[in-house]
Amino acid sequence: MLQIESRQFAKEQGLFACVQCGKCTGGCPMAMKTKLNPRDLIYRLLIAGNGFNLEGREELWDCTTCSTCYSRCPKQVNPMEAIIAMRSAFVEKGRVHPNVKTALESIFRQGNPLKMSRSDRANWTKGMQIKSIAEQGAEYLFYVGCTPSYDPRGQKVARSMVQVMNAAGVDFGILGNDENCCASEARRLGELGLFEGMVEMNEEIFKDLEITKLFTISPHCFNTFKNDYPKVGEQPKRPMQVQHYTQMLSGLVKEQRLKFYGEFAKKVTYHDPCYLGKHNGIFDEPRNVLKSIPGLELIEMDRSREKSLCCEGGGGRMWLEGTNPGTRLAQLRVQEALETGAEILATACPFCLSTLDEAVKHLNAEEKIRVLDIAEIAVQAL
Amino acid sequence: MNAPDMRGNGRSHAALVVGAGIAGIQAALDIADAGFKVYLVEKSPSIGGRMSQLDKTFPTLDCSSCILTPKMADVPRNPNINLLTCTQVKEVQGQAGGFHITLEREPRYVDESACTGCGLCADACPVSVPNTFNAGLDSHKAIYRVFPQAVPNAFKIDKRESPCKNTCPAHIPVQGYVALIAQGKFREAYQRVLEAGVPFVGTLGRVCYHPCESECKRADWDEAVSICALKRFAYDAGTDHTKPEPAPVKYAERVAVIGAGPAGLTTAYNLTLRGYKVTVFDALPAPGGMLAAGIPEYRLPRTVLSDEIEYITALGVELKMSTPIGRDGGPTLDDLRKEYQAVFMAIGAHGSSRLGVPGEDMPGVYQAVPFLRHLNIGHEAAIGKKVAVIGGGNSAIDAARCALRLGAEVQLVYRRSRTEMPAAAWEVASAEEEGVKLTFLSAPTKVLEKDGRVTGIECIRMELGEPDSSGRRRPVPIPGSEYVLDVDTVIAAIGQNVESTGMGVETKWDRLVVDPLTLETSVKGVFAGGDAVIGPASVVEAVGAGIQAAESIHRYLRGMDLREGRTQTHPNAKDIKVVPASPVKRAPRERMQELSAVDRINGFKEVELGLTQEQAIAEAQRCLECAVCSECMQCVDACQRGAIQHDDKARHMEVDVETVIVATGFDVFDPHRKPEFGYGQYPQIITSLEFERLASASGPTAGKILINGQMPKKVVFIQCVGSRDKSISLGRDDDTLHPYCSRVCCMAVAKQAHLAHDRLPGAAITVFYMDVRAFGKGFEEFYDRVRKEGITYRRGNPSEIIRRGYKVVVRAEDTLIGEQVEVEADLVVLAVGMQPRADMEILSRTLNLSRSEDGFFLESHPKLRTVESSVPGIYLAGCCQGPKDIPDTVAHAKAAASAAMIMLNRSLATSIAGEGADYAAN
Repeated sequence: MLQIESRQFAKEQGLFACVQCGKCTGGCPMAMKTKLNPRDLIYRLLIAGNGFNLEGREELWDCTTCSTCYSRCPKQVNPMEAIIAMRSAFVEKGRVHPNVKTALESIFRQGNPLKMSRSDRANWTKGMQIKSIAEQGAEYLFYVGCTPSYDPRGQKVARSMVQVMNAAGVDFGILGNDENCCASEARRLGELGLFEGMVEMNEEIFKDLEITKLFTISPHCFNTFKNDYPKVGEQPKRPMQVQHYTQMLSGLVKEQRLKFYGEFAKKVTYHDPCYLGKHNGIFDEPRNVLKSIPGLELIEMDRSREKSLCCEGGGGRMWLEGTNPGTRLAQLRVQEALETGAEILATACPFCLSTLDEAVKHLNAEEKIRVLDIAEIAVQAL
Repeated sequence: MNAPDMRGNGRSHAALVVGAGIAGIQAALDIADAGFKVYLVEKSPSIGGRMSQLDKTFPTLDCSSCILTPKMADVPRNPNINLLTCTQVKEVQGQAGGFHITLEREPRYVDESACTGCGLCADACPVSVPNTFNAGLDSHKAIYRVFPQAVPNAFKIDKRESPCKNTCPAHIPVQGYVALIAQGKFREAYQRVLEAGVPFVGTLGRVCYHPCESECKRADWDEAVSICALKRFAYDAGTDHTKPEPAPVKYAERVAVIGAGPAGLTTAYNLTLRGYKVTVFDALPAPGGMLAAGIPEYRLPRTVLSDEIEYITALGVELKMSTPIGRDGGPTLDDLRKEYQAVFMAIGAHGSSRLGVPGEDMPGVYQAVPFLRHLNIGHEAAIGKKVAVIGGGNSAIDAARCALRLGAEVQLVYRRSRTEMPAAAWEVASAEEEGVKLTFLSAPTKVLEKDGRVTGIECIRMELGEPDSSGRRRPVPIPGSEYVLDVDTVIAAIGQNVESTGMGVETKWDRLVVDPLTLETSVKGVFAGGDAVIGPASVVEAVGAGIQAAESIHRYLRGMDLREGRTQTHPNAKDIKVVPASPVKRAPRERMQELSAVDRINGFKEVELGLTQEQAIAEAQRCLECAVCSECMQCVDACQRGAIQHDDKARHMEVDVETVIVATGFDVFDPHRKPEFGYGQYPQIITSLEFERLASASGPTAGKILINGQMPKKVVFIQCVGSRDKSISLGRDDDTLHPYCSRVCCMAVAKQAHLAHDRLPGAAITVFYMDVRAFGKGFEEFYDRVRKEGITYRRGNPSEIIRRGYKVVVRAEDTLIGEQVEVEADLVVLAVGMQPRADMEILSRTLNLSRSEDGFFLESHPKLRTVESSVPGIYLAGCCQGPKDIPDTVAHAKAAASAAMIMLNRSLATSIAGEGADYAAN
């Protein structure tokens, strides 16, 4: 039996406000293919008396934390956060999938969920001149993140980012091997203890180096620094300006500090990452960057912006197949991109990049469409 | 009912009712019938409000118009009601029992009392705009009546600002002649420009640098409208070259104009039309100023220029050519002032800046202005075979292209780079195409000679340094980089100046000093404008100055204020928002045919050949009609009652009333704020208000429910769009939508589902709902009836709408089966909620009224005093206090009228008794 105190839980999570309208489930991308039904879950919890049994509710691990449910709810109930809190109950009992266990342990030991060595974190910088923020100081911390540090594809994005920011004359530095996982995924997997520990560790580093401004490649890192970190630990917090790199680039283009002289004469469609769009309302900045590139024709998919379809890479799903491993959402997404006639599927998130890339291969569509990060496109147009 | 007139002690006892929807109409009629005077103020051009937009009313299915229009008709018939449309409350002073109210009446541009509503004006009007009454589903003309049963039955003109006219230095009504060309009315288009005070239609259509096109809003879609080419077309196709009769001389005062260029002749033209006798003096033998002496014939054929000048002289303008003023033995300014009561100085900028290098005064070295003048007027210019032109402005390009046509090899030398060239880019491109060689970053250092003849010019290479005062990068010589160009002729075109010495008015550097608004000089009665004031500029700026000078001189001679009502500031083009009447189809601008480069350089034939008739019409139709009314004046011609007043102005009006009823109604929720529903993205998705107009027999489809011209077979209604909704709003300023229930949508949807069932036989109709609130008399019974007709009610509030092929798919959870469902539809109706009027904040400040958290006006007590506002003597009626259906609105209005009448009666009683007023708080 895996019981939670349901009345207390519902109160803490604000679930009594629910009017059972079903907007959460109606828009949930996972409800299309698995048993996950946020409205039903809330209803059962509300009528459960004082104990709600989570036993057998494997669908809780299907949630990608895309936040569609929360963004649609007319009563500001947040089913996604309730699901994360339910996951915590599993984590507390140590009852998690072995992949999740490995990822969490790797975060704890190596500062990344990828089972890579801490001392290899800065390998991607080989042959590049990048300031160390600890030694030389800089206006901005470029927080690289785990996937762009270790994953060969992600590394290309990181290297592109350096070139683009240099071209715009941004004064930035990196932490190198001292950079740690932001632990956003640990939090989404329900491992709150680990998350809070990592917050403390990272904030210590930021404080020591007097970092007040940072930008990230991943919307997941961006979101957690911006929205989760301020809520953990002692208040008030040190002020910190957190930006996603597309916000930086959009601002630099607007101020004419970044100019694209090269052409990128291709049809491009843009996939909104959930943690940039639905979580943080950043829809225009990435598009502004793309539109400022000469020759680039931006076409929209039907499901764009607020309606963007999740790639199924968030909420720890990079390490979990889910209860229905059939057609991944990323494959549907690539099909939607193909329907527009675009030659490039652009995005601005290392997880999306990886899931969409995988989907293109799965669909044998490499000849028709390429998945590129906005930074990779930008560097080609400098 | 006969309306008795109740007045005590001759003092009128009156109420002000703000808003003339069903609530305001009902309240006004009740108070008027009780014998009190009512000012019924309505912002829009007609009374009727939201109810006039509805098709049927629930639950009885009465025709909304049929029960409303008799009430509307009662309003103007009631002698106690003073109906003021297009009017808003500006200021309120005083208190209950004695309010002093300032009203502002917006111009209607149509005399309400003269207009019979015949509609001939709208038939003649070339401009269409989205019809907001029909929820934007069709369009009406710029002169329009809101709907056929409008009260008052009068038309109105929708006038806004257009960037082209605002940007034009001469404020030519661009949209007017463009709209006329689009209609094939070429003669009227030509006349329209002439009437705007611009006699140089064909000339400007050829040589204008058209700043209007840079601001044209069409460029936000594809490319700017080719305005200049259209003006040329208006002349080419619109004039029959007949000359007008002399204008009658109305005034004794005579006016002298110095300079027969575009500024001077424009002033003369306008003053002559106003009834003055004007004489124009010029030092040159032929009229036209720089138009004749400066602009080469291949850009402006002399037949066009002389035709336009002859038009001006035919009106009665007297030309005295070869008569310099203040020099060479000609009369002085003082001489002129003795004979003429006003003088306009438009002497242009015919002087030349010197190169300042050795050898510049030798034969074979020319200045561009005299070179072009000799060529243009005398047709003789002895130049050699190899010509260097120095400079990068328009005169340099003109000189270079002329020299080329005289058979020379031409090299243009400019000290900066191409991007800094002041010449128009398209002129530079043409010159290059014709074979002019361009050398950048070079400046002459000396002219070389042998035996008194030019043999070459020594130049030095330059590089660009820091920006100078003009914002362009300053060229700096590179020491030791001198080189020689082998030429036998040099034409200097590095600047023009004003030959202003001896003119007798104040100058700064060489330019005449004037008041920028009135163009008055330091000497009384003497005005100046054009190049002489602003330095070498453009024809259209000169024409603009000419028009302003004529206005100033007329005011001066008639003893009027020179400044009143004149301004130099216009709304920034960036601030002008355009809402095209129909979706803009991308179409590039039409381009003129041009002579080939080879044909060009063999003579001085005109290079640009003009638009064809088909091209001109197509190009004119690209105009987005930013100002809505194009001021083409076709309505004036069409109206047989002389009711059109294009110069109508806003007016203020003051009234004294005892009490005020606010009945300003509601706005509907804008579903763009729920982007997941794809409103505006998919044509199949409409609002409930749009559905009413589609279903209405007097609507745009005469009551047929059509989407993309087809009768839908699968219809979905979605309730609670924007109501009962506190969702977070991503990336937007507003945090919440509307937490409250809009109260009417459940029943409105039931009624609309019934209408859809009735009008779309066999259609599958689904209503998605959260709860159904059928709380009124007969409501539950109606809901029962609708379900029994076969309408499917599914419990669940849809989450999003996506596209699948040609259909849209509504994605929801059917919460009764607990499954995610997708319902295909070819029509989706969003039951949009009610929200406070957008201008509620302004009205609440004007009247000092409190608002509740939801934004509607706050009543004094939620149960017992729902018509009393937070201000004694001001009452609330209808949806401005909160969402209501029609029966509740009418009841609320009658209650407000009753409260107001108590106030009026008390005041009447005290004034009859002759006692001091005691207007206790309501």
